[in-house]
Amino acid sequence: MTEFQTIHPLGDVPPQSVESGDTSGITLNVRHEISMVQIFARNGREMELAKKLNIEGVPGRASETRSFTAFPLAPGQWMLVSKNAPGSGFGTGIAKKLKGIGYVSEQSDSRVCIRVSGSQARELLARGCRLDLHQSVASKGFCAQTPMAQVGVLLHQVNDGPTYDLYVYSGFARSFWEWLAHTAGQFGYSRGGRGH
Amino acid sequence: MHRIDCPWCGTRDEAEFQYQGDATVVRPDPDASEEAFFRYVYLRENPKGWHTEWWHHVGGCRQWVKVVRNTLTHEIFATGRAQEDLPLPGTRAKPRRRTRPKQ
Ligand SMILES: [Zn+2]
Repeated sequence: MTEFQTIHPLGDVPPQSVESGDTSGITLNVRHEISMVQIFARNGREMELAKKLNIEGVPGRASETRSFTAFPLAPGQWMLVSKNAPGSGFGTGIAKKLKGIGYVSEQSDSRVCIRVSGSQARELLARGCRLDLHQSVASKGFCAQTPMAQVGVLLHQVNDGPTYDLYVYSGFARSFWEWLAHTAGQFGYSRGGRGH
Repeated sequence: MHRIDCPWCGTRDEAEFQYQGDATVVRPDPDASEEAFFRYVYLRENPKGWHTEWWHHVGGCRQWVKVVRNTLTHEIFATGRAQEDLPLPGTRAKPRRRTRPKQ
């Protein structure tokens, strides 16, 4: 009988260390071993849900809690990202907390997270992002959903380094990665043995 | 090129939105005539000037945004949530709702 195998869309991309000798000012990495769930409040229970999880629903601002980061997607909707590996029961735990006030949808395998960092990270994203990411406008904690290179992206500014996390649908991850690595080439980023 | 002010996300590029048509159309009662439903489904006005319309923020929050736009100049006068009634420029009146066809 055929064994099912879990294949990560960017599973062949080796980690890139900041000390790799790359002079492009761009570091690209795939974040593995994170759990993601999308949550929806029942009608009229938005405030209650936010209070329960100790998060906020301010558009464009991520909420950090001890166990996860919450990104507001729309009124009463958030994406929660935990550093716990898939299968660690993160989604189940959230579902228990939200019983009666909201819904949970597991997303760990449906999205891929690409971390872009380095002195040229902002300039790289500017090649495909329509949002103004200048430091006078966007800083640590900024998040937004926006299309880049025809692919829907949930963008999160992790720190003022700057470091960004880009969450893309798994089915588009390879295409998006190709665009990102190709565009980074204009800054001198070399894939070398990294990725394909 | 438009820049549309989504009530949730803020001002975003037109490319993030999909145009979804006339926002003043009202669904007839379930027992309305076939003619009434034909008009509701297929017939639209093509105004030169202010138009209240739907834009779906498909590349952002995925909500439906109501937009008052000038079809001649492309000027956007107002945007709002789906439930909001947006006045037309120069009036305090609510956008004209299409009267229900006689049944
Ligand atoms: Zn929006």
